[in-house]
Parts: sequence; structure tokens; C-alpha cells
Amino acid sequence: MKSLRVVFFMLLAAVPALAHHGGAEYDSKTIVLTGTIKEFQFTNPHSWIQVDVKDQTGKVVEWNVEWGSPNTLTRQGVHPSSFPVGAKGTFKVHPVKTGAPIASFVGVKFEDGTTVGKFDAPDATE
Amino acid sequence: MSGIRLAALSVVFLLASGLGYAQNGGQSGDQNRAQNGKLTPFDQLPDWTGTWTMIGDTVFDQATRVGKGNAWTPGVREHPPYNDVYEKKYDDHIALRDAYKFPDTNNFCGIPVNYPRILNLPDAYEFVVRPDEFYIIAENGENAMRVYTDGRPLPPKEDLWGTYTGVSVGHWEGDTLVFETVGLKGDRDNDAILDRTGAVLSDVAHVTTRVRKINDNMLQFVVTIEDPKALTKPWVVTKQFRKQKPGLFLYDYGCAENNRNPVDKATGEVLTLDPNGKPVH
Repeated sequence: MKSLRVVFFMLLAAVPALAHHGGAEYDSKTIVLTGTIKEFQFTNPHSWIQVDVKDQTGKVVEWNVEWGSPNTLTRQGVHPSSFPVGAKGTFKVHPVKTGAPIASFVGVKFEDGTTVGKFDAPDATE
Repeated sequence: MSGIRLAALSVVFLLASGLGYAQNGGQSGDQNRAQNGKLTPFDQLPDWTGTWTMIGDTVFDQATRVGKGNAWTPGVREHPPYNDVYEKKYDDHIALRDAYKFPDTNNFCGIPVNYPRILNLPDAYEFVVRPDEFYIIAENGENAMRVYTDGRPLPPKEDLWGTYTGVSVGHWEGDTLVFETVGLKGDRDNDAILDRTGAVLSDVAHVTTRVRKINDNMLQFVVTIEDPKALTKPWVVTKQFRKQKPGLFLYDYGCAENNRNPVDKATGEVLTLDPNGKPVH
């Protein structure tokens, strides 16, 4: 499982991940969410990671975290099994500017220390 | 519509797989050009086999990539040289985009992209060279475009009614494919934008494209757009594609499979749906 979660950044990574609708709705700032994966939709036109996150009041909020097409992601080493249901992790995301629980995916570090995406990239934090 | 397009792509793949590819034989432009019904043989055509991805962003006007950016700053963007009428249209589209109310036709999952937007897509490409035709096959969409290189002329004007990718005929000048594209629908129905900034052409656009390998791993398209209804002078844009490592698989795209970003037709706003299909607020 560990190897399945490792993303290999190849030349394809330079392609914008959210070209289907542009991504202008997302803020350029990065925020950190800690939560549990509820579902991973490895589907076109975009993949979606559903993450249960406790807000400041303790209420569980389901975040909708968007990533690229499975076609491109699979060539970067991402698989349908890369986001196991029930796995806990720390997510770095770009939230939408409206404040809704919607974001574009940057990277995640799971409890076992494995990462997917650009979690450790220098530009992934502010 | 998706089924028809998938079937068409299947035919393209079958034709291409059965005929193979060849290296260029170093012929001159006149020798390579298909004339008098003679086709350029496989062994004189360049090798563009493999999988390719576009280099750079999916917009032509880079300065409009984020927010208003430098969209109104002269001289800093790859700006279409629009006349006043089309400059106004473009500015209106950018303003709508900045308000998240610009309905990029990609969000409708079923409308093909136009030419030259087919050169502005993420995911992977294949460029299929045959003596009689050249195909652009874009994984994203899926989208495909045909260029006839069998020496036929463009159709007469009465047979051009305006389609997304128009009609293209081309010829070989050495290792360079040169093709003309006409019969584009332009902004007639507001569903044929060049990129998500909302750049558009009119229905009289005439596009000349030169394609060649600039090294073993880079394919370059130089696109010259002439449009007397929308532009004050020819607009030249360049798109480059990088060859990927061998052995990659390409897949169907199925945009409608799980489109959680449909367009609210009443407002033009792009929605985000939850896994149950309800808008997230």
C-alpha cells in the first residue's frame, strides 16, 4: 500500500490539473485540513477526495477536494487505491474563495508518513 | 454525441494501427507535396509516433490566467489583435470569468472543442501521420481533428456551414506539415471559445498551421490566424508538445461520467456538486 501512495512527479505534472473548469474559483493560499477519507472518486473529468474534517466546534464537515483527471494522475503514479477509505491524514489544499468546504488538492501526508501529491513541495505552504 | 465521437475515434485508431509509421526520407518540399493525386509515401513522412503532452498553460493569453492580471496592460500579453467590437467581447468574457460566471463549454461535457483550442488541452495527445491524412487525437474530451493531405482542395464555400474544428487540408514541405483550416463556426453560437478566458474568433477565420519537430522530443505548432471580421492583423500563437516516455497507456475520458461542475444555465455560474449531486454552498 505504501508504494501505491507515492507520487512520481514526471513531466506530466506541469499540466494544469483542473483545466476542465479552470480553477479560478480556488484561492492561491494553502490551508491545512486534518481528516479521514470518506470516499475517493477516481473519475473523469476530475477526481474527488471526500474528507471528513472536524471544525472548531467539533462538528464533522465533509470537504470536497478536487484533483486531476484519472488519465493524467495514473501516469503520475496515483491509483484508485491511493486514498483508502478510513485513512487519516493531513491535507494541504487550496480552498474556494467563498468559504464553502470545497478545495483543490495539493498533497496529503498519511499517519504512516507516506505522502501523495505535493505535500513536501516548497510552494505547498504559506 | 459522446458515443458517436468515441466510435469515430475508434475508427481512427484502427486505421492508424494497421498502417504503421515511417521516418522522413529528406525529400524537398516540392517532392513531398501531394500533387496530382500522388500521396507522400510512408517512408518519406516524419516520425511523430508516441504520446505527447502540451507544454505550458491551457490559455493563449497568459496574462489573463489569474484574475484580471495584466489583461488591460498593453504589450504584456499574448493578446489577440482584436478590433474594437471583438475587444469589447473579450473584455466582457474576462469580466464574467472573474465573476465565476463564464460558461466554459468544457463544462457541458459533450460539446467538442474548436480549432485551435484543440491544441490547448491537458492530458495526452497522439499525432497520427499517414500519407492521406493527419489526425490530432486529444485524450481530453475526447477530441479529434482530421487534416486531409491527399492533395484535395478545400471545399467550395457553399459547402462550409461552420463547425467546431472546421475543414482542413494540408501538404508536406520537407519535415513540416502545413495545413489550412476554414469553415469554423466562430462565435456564432457562443460555444466555440479558444480558451477559458473567452477569446473567440468570427465565422470567417482562416487559420494556417505549420507543424514540425524542433528536436527529438518536441513538436511545435505555429498557428497564424487571419480573421478580417475580428482581428486587425494576423495573430500568431505557438504551442509546443513534449514527447512522453514510451509505453504509456491512454484512456477514454468520459467527461459526463462524474461532472460535478455543471453550469447553472440561468446564471452562467459554474456549480460544485456534492457526491449526491446537490450543489455545495
